Amino acid sequence: MKTSKSKERSKKAEKKQKNILEMLKSHGAKIYEDLDNGQFPKFSIPSRSVSNIVYDKKLRQYILGNNAALRSARNSSQLRSFTQLMWLAFFANRLTQEKKSSTLRDVYYSSQAFAIEFEDQSESDNIIVDLEAVTSKPREDFHIFPEERSSIFGDLNIEYTIPGYEGKSMNLSNHPDGYSIGPSLTTAELVDTSAEIVIAIEKGGLFTRFVEEQIDKKFKSIIINTGGQAPRSTRTLLKRLHDEMRLPVIVLTDGDVYGEHIAMVIKSGSANAAHLRELTVPDAKWIGVWATDIEKYKLPTIPMTESDIKRCYDLQKDPRYQDGVWKKELDVFLRIKRKAELEAFSKYGLTNITDKYLPQKLELAKSL
Amino acid sequence: MSSIKEKFNQISPSEFFYSNRDLAGFSNPTRSLYTAVREFVENSLDACDQKGILPDVHLTIKAVDPEKSDPKPYILTVKDNGPGIDAEHIPLAFGTVLYGSKFGLKQARGVFGLGATMAILYGQITTNKPVIVKSSVDGKTQNMFELLLDIQKNKPVILKHTTKEVSKKGLSVSICLEGDYSKAGNKIRDYVYETSLITPYASITFDDSKGQKFSHPRFVKNMPSPPTIIRPHPHGIDVERIRRMIVESQFEIPTIDDAMIEKVRKDLGLSKKNLGFTAIMEKAKKKWKTLPRQVRVVIALMSFLKMDFEKLNKIKIEDIDMPNKKLFYWDFGDSQSKSVEMNPDSQYYKQLTNTVQGEPLTTFLTKRFQRIGPTTAIKFAEFARFKPEKRMGTMTNQELVNLSDSLQKFEDFLAPDPSCLAPLGEEPLEKGIRKFFNPDFVAVVQRPASAYSGFPFIIEMGIAYGGEIKTGGPHVYRYANRIPLLYDEGSDVVLKVSNDTDWGRYKIKGEPPFIIVSHICSTRIPYKTAGKENVADRPEIERELRLALQYLSRKLAAYMSKRGQAEMAKKRANLYAKYIPLIAEFCTELAGKKKEPNYKKILQEENAIESKPVKEENTIEN
Repeated sequence: MKTSKSKERSKKAEKKQKNILEMLKSHGAKIYEDLDNGQFPKFSIPSRSVSNIVYDKKLRQYILGNNAALRSARNSSQLRSFTQLMWLAFFANRLTQEKKSSTLRDVYYSSQAFAIEFEDQSESDNIIVDLEAVTSKPREDFHIFPEERSSIFGDLNIEYTIPGYEGKSMNLSNHPDGYSIGPSLTTAELVDTSAEIVIAIEKGGLFTRFVEEQIDKKFKSIIINTGGQAPRSTRTLLKRLHDEMRLPVIVLTDGDVYGEHIAMVIKSGSANAAHLRELTVPDAKWIGVWATDIEKYKLPTIPMTESDIKRCYDLQKDPRYQDGVWKKELDVFLRIKRKAELEAFSKYGLTNITDKYLPQKLELAKSL
Repeated sequence: MSSIKEKFNQISPSEFFYSNRDLAGFSNPTRSLYTAVREFVENSLDACDQKGILPDVHLTIKAVDPEKSDPKPYILTVKDNGPGIDAEHIPLAFGTVLYGSKFGLKQARGVFGLGATMAILYGQITTNKPVIVKSSVDGKTQNMFELLLDIQKNKPVILKHTTKEVSKKGLSVSICLEGDYSKAGNKIRDYVYETSLITPYASITFDDSKGQKFSHPRFVKNMPSPPTIIRPHPHGIDVERIRRMIVESQFEIPTIDDAMIEKVRKDLGLSKKNLGFTAIMEKAKKKWKTLPRQVRVVIALMSFLKMDFEKLNKIKIEDIDMPNKKLFYWDFGDSQSKSVEMNPDSQYYKQLTNTVQGEPLTTFLTKRFQRIGPTTAIKFAEFARFKPEKRMGTMTNQELVNLSDSLQKFEDFLAPDPSCLAPLGEEPLEKGIRKFFNPDFVAVVQRPASAYSGFPFIIEMGIAYGGEIKTGGPHVYRYANRIPLLYDEGSDVVLKVSNDTDWGRYKIKGEPPFIIVSHICSTRIPYKTAGKENVADRPEIERELRLALQYLSRKLAAYMSKRGQAEMAKKRANLYAKYIPLIAEFCTELAGKKKEPNYKKILQEENAIESKPVKEENTIEN
């Protein structure tokens, strides 16, 4: 039974890899043909300009519109980035073929071996986004991952698919520091779990506390530390936990406008990744800390900074903040102009947040 | 200068300049050596220009005692192939201050002799050595003088005068003066170098005190057409000048002596014949048109005296009272004063009036000034509220002041005549710039003549870019009447105009290899100081400079954009050569091919035109 399942899984991974490789090959063949015919190669790339990013209500995320730009090797101002992108496709092709992983930083350094110049890592990061836009595939599909790792803890059995670990399984509650969410975990098969909910927390400190307080057992949950704004690998894993394991996802952040937006990005993505569609958990719920909680729980607060307030006004223009709890809390933040951190609950005892606040909020979440 | 002469004629001009030598650029040993070089070189060039001789000028500076430290005495010698100076004039020309100044208006480097005499004076003051002048006007005999200036008497003292045979014309002046060549050397070398740029038809050599030789052979064989001497423009005149012109225009009543009578008889063809009074008058009437003025005056007097030559010999004219129409004379025979009435209707009365009271205003204007016709003269008289026939000799001081003011204010005079100017010309200027800077780009322009305060001027300008020009430009080379201006750059009008220019607009950025050569030609350059180093910002001159610079800058901008396009095309070709092979390499592996595509065709395509992207890409910032 298990072998056949495992075979099936690896077959699925094989197929995905084959698709990616074929797509890259077809892009390469087109460029090759142009050159061979004595023509400057060119390709079209969806425009990522602000005017071309639209909110799709049905998908509940930002997507790119129909505008596209032509990249041509004839245009000397595009020639450099054209070549960089060609190299990246070539490099991604090698990574995928050889099932090797790389990071954003690693890509930046690897370029030097091929006489490809990037001013800095942000230039190479930008070219990686270009590749995603052209292929409509996230960089993880090309085995390129970010450096920053968030972590996961809870009763979840996985089975690795990365070379050398194929078929090997692991339970994610075995190590109390949690497991970092990297390429091997993002690509692993999710086998089974006893948990009934996923709790994503903004901060490492609270994550450790939750593990210590055995929140995973008390609330039958998988705990994830997003480490601030959730990296895309973490968002991918959240989506898979929701879609494949049918687990609801709730998000717990600091009581400020940035916390609210961390939750929103998990739920409906970021404008930065409007060219990708598999990173959102539209059903995810933000349970706190709300602006109204600050008043309700009499939390110690600090005043909002000018940039906090500006951020509030910016978000008020975002179509996703036009109704429900999102709009309501944003308005209250703007009214009270104060904010509170998750740690604020320790004023009422170190376990106050896990003993009192969390149960109430989880209960409330059911009705959201 | 004229007013200075008037004021200081009372004391010796030599004394005046002795105590005010700073004004003329002899303030310290460094500056003095430089100024002395300038004065002599410019005199030589002016002399050659005037006679249409292609100048060969040799400048030598030798230390009297090379071991001494600066400042120390130097012997400065300037030798030319010019017309030379007649032996009889040499002592006065080099041994007095303010000798030989001219009243004619034309462009010249300097008022002849003034600065040179200052240099001689300075040399004598500092070293007590004479000036040595060698001159040959005929190419056969050379006169050599050793002269000192008697400062108090403003008179030359001839120490030595010899003659010898030579084979070439020309002048050589040698003075001994206190100088500082170690400090002045740079400026003097620059001066010689820059002079040869604006005087491309001259060969200039320079042997300096350190044994270095600098040679600037001529590279243009044609001299620019020499300026003509012209009459002044009414806008450029003052009361003093008018007074001087009236004196010039008035004729004295000739002394009627034996020689004069002999001349009158000769001109009438009556040398051997004795005719009576009536016959003489008839003869004169017939010959009137051919008679010189003096003779006409004598005839006119005879007509009223009713005398023949014999009687005329026995009297002396005492006074001619035009308003009362009376002629007084002394009769030697009767030994008493007598008078006769003058008939105002007689044509001879008019002749005498002209002589005694000067010309009528309108004649004065049309004859003594440039570009004034009878119509304008009458219009002006009306404007100035003078009778057109007002005699110049009868003007009071106040009337002269009114006349001078009105001449300044009247706006219907034609612009000054530029024929007295001698610009270098566009072609020689361009040639010079090319030779001196070997640039990638040159443009020159000669503006049409313009005028300020009645003085005509012409702006010539050239700009050059790239090539061997050093960066850090624009470097401005300023010239006025073919003199390079090296000091006091900061306050000069040319610098002002250049600094006001937004070079970015003309595609010139950073520290460009870029020069501007500006030449102002005028009968009077409005120098800010007597040292002739910077030009004041007269609005008319500033405007012409600006127009010239704008015109040239536009040409340069056109060149720069072409140059930019060529550079861009080259840059683009380089980019293709760099990146296309890489693209080929990567897509070959990506497409799963073994052999690289044949991309050579693209690289060979020379006229690959940049295509515009379909849409500007604005990547979102976080």
